[in-house]
Amino acid sequence: MSAILRRVLLTILLLLLSSLAVFAAIRLSGGDVTAARLPASATAEDRELFREQIGLNKPILTQYVDYLGKVTRGDLGNSLTNNAKISTLAVEKIRNSLILGGVAIVLVFGIGIPLGMMAAFRRNSWLDTSISSASVAGMAIPNFWLALLVVWLFSSTLGWFPSAGQGGLRYLVLPSIVLAAEGIALTVRMTRSAMLENLGQDFVRTLRASGLSESRIYFKHVLRNSLLPIISLAGLRVGQIVGYALVVETIFGWPGVGQILVNGVLRRDYPIVQFFSLLLVVVVTLGNLAASVGYTLANPRLRK
Amino acid sequence: MSASTALLEINDLSVGLHARNIGYDIVRNVSLAVNRNEILAVVGESGCGKSLTALSILQLQASPPLFITGGSILYDGRDLVKLSKSEMRKVRGPEIAMIFQDPMSALDPMFTVGTLLTSAVLAHRSVGKDAAEKLALEALADAGIEDPKRRFDEYPFQLSGGVSQRAMIALALVNDPKLIIADEPTTALDVTVQAQILDRLKELKKDRGMSILLITHNLGVVASVADRMAVMYTGEVVETGAVTDVFERPQHPYTNGLLGAVPRLGGQASDLTPIVGRVPQPDELPVGCTFVDRCSRAVAQCSTTRPILHARGRVEVRCHNPVG
Repeated sequence: MSAILRRVLLTILLLLLSSLAVFAAIRLSGGDVTAARLPASATAEDRELFREQIGLNKPILTQYVDYLGKVTRGDLGNSLTNNAKISTLAVEKIRNSLILGGVAIVLVFGIGIPLGMMAAFRRNSWLDTSISSASVAGMAIPNFWLALLVVWLFSSTLGWFPSAGQGGLRYLVLPSIVLAAEGIALTVRMTRSAMLENLGQDFVRTLRASGLSESRIYFKHVLRNSLLPIISLAGLRVGQIVGYALVVETIFGWPGVGQILVNGVLRRDYPIVQFFSLLLVVVVTLGNLAASVGYTLANPRLRK
Repeated sequence: MSASTALLEINDLSVGLHARNIGYDIVRNVSLAVNRNEILAVVGESGCGKSLTALSILQLQASPPLFITGGSILYDGRDLVKLSKSEMRKVRGPEIAMIFQDPMSALDPMFTVGTLLTSAVLAHRSVGKDAAEKLALEALADAGIEDPKRRFDEYPFQLSGGVSQRAMIALALVNDPKLIIADEPTTALDVTVQAQILDRLKELKKDRGMSILLITHNLGVVASVADRMAVMYTGEVVETGAVTDVFERPQHPYTNGLLGAVPRLGGQASDLTPIVGRVPQPDELPVGCTFVDRCSRAVAQCSTTRPILHARGRVEVRCHNPVG
């Protein structure tokens, strides 16, 4: 119980600190929303008047306290560029990002684990070599470049999938693959090495000596042991996907949290940046929490 | 001890390490027989090939790089070397079971003792889950575990060394084998627990008529449980016979040396005679007898001709100039 309480308190502290960091960073990064909101012909006086209206000329600390006060009352504020209510915007953006991120997470483990198992089962074969080389490539290729590559190949050249936007399942294919690519590659390598390590353990020899079939040993016993390290690092995979979503959503025009956050930063739309970057902190924290709960549940030494 | 009564008969078995640039035998021309209702102890120091001999009976050696390079292993008249993988799988458990040295690492940590036992049953018998669990509980009791129901639901990490070795024994017993191969079953355990485990093995032989092939480096263990023994050195059997005969009148200088190196209660430290020199590596064995460089009784022939295992008195010995 005290462990859970400590974790909750730490999370709240983390949120406070990161909100302060985001709040300060976006204001210190130069420029402000007047460039995006007011016409280019606006005079310096017009701009100053606008800043005064929305309270941008107050000291940063005062602004922060005001902001915290509003947030605790449930008021997330409005976008500075189009005045849309953030609470309304959030629902749609979060839904879109959950779809994309959820599919990517499923791909990371749903493709990564079976491929890693195949590579380990047929180690040193051509299959293992191809899977392992592909996973090295997957880790080495930056996702923005991979995005351009798949758009060029599958969209411009072959015309199989749309290059941007949102609609049916076809729109989900390219962005989710690009988003998941590095996670898949890392999961393949981790699964492969965990499987190989566990295959060399004494308990495998005992299971063979009991006359269990190789497939039973492999799919039940070795796999179950190998899932532990994969689960323990699942939190990192979530964090990775959250971070990459900024790039991938922007490239593929996917109207999610990543895209609105990038645009918010470019326009210095402070309330948007503050809310959505904190949201990412929450998601990463929850991802790590889920991973450690999963690890505890999967490991009999901790469960008992 | 005619061939027809032996349950397991290993003839001229060689097991070698073969990789890209190397290739040499680690187990060399080993012949052993385990009779029904008998405990045969194979004794020797680390690296003498005794564990590898035991593992290759069930083809559990790490292959590659270890391969059976010659000889036969007759079990109940069938040559195990020639079995296919699926035929071998049917032998493992219901015919020949194995107990390993370190029970803590030899049991899968992610499953309960009960699950491990029942899946071993279900690998061989088409019975229901309830029947399998009943057999598992019986095996735990047969292995000398006090509270089988409780242990059934425990994970290996929750067991003490002695209890997990009993769980290993239960895993071996659960499919009711005729032969148990026990590879250093007591080495990782406390002395008191060692004695209990050895007693349990003796009872299994007596009550169930089982045969046991016991691998050990401990001459005290040999003396207390085995009927017959085989002494191994550098992958060869150098002397074999009834335990009483070998202990009373060891004929191979190596056996003689081993027995001379065992401390006795009430003896002086100066009574201990170590064997001089060190064991040659398997890839740099002398041409003749492999013990020649360490032997005080070596004659000219020993450096040139490899001795063969031959009957001498009531034992068999591989030596040109045996003791006594």
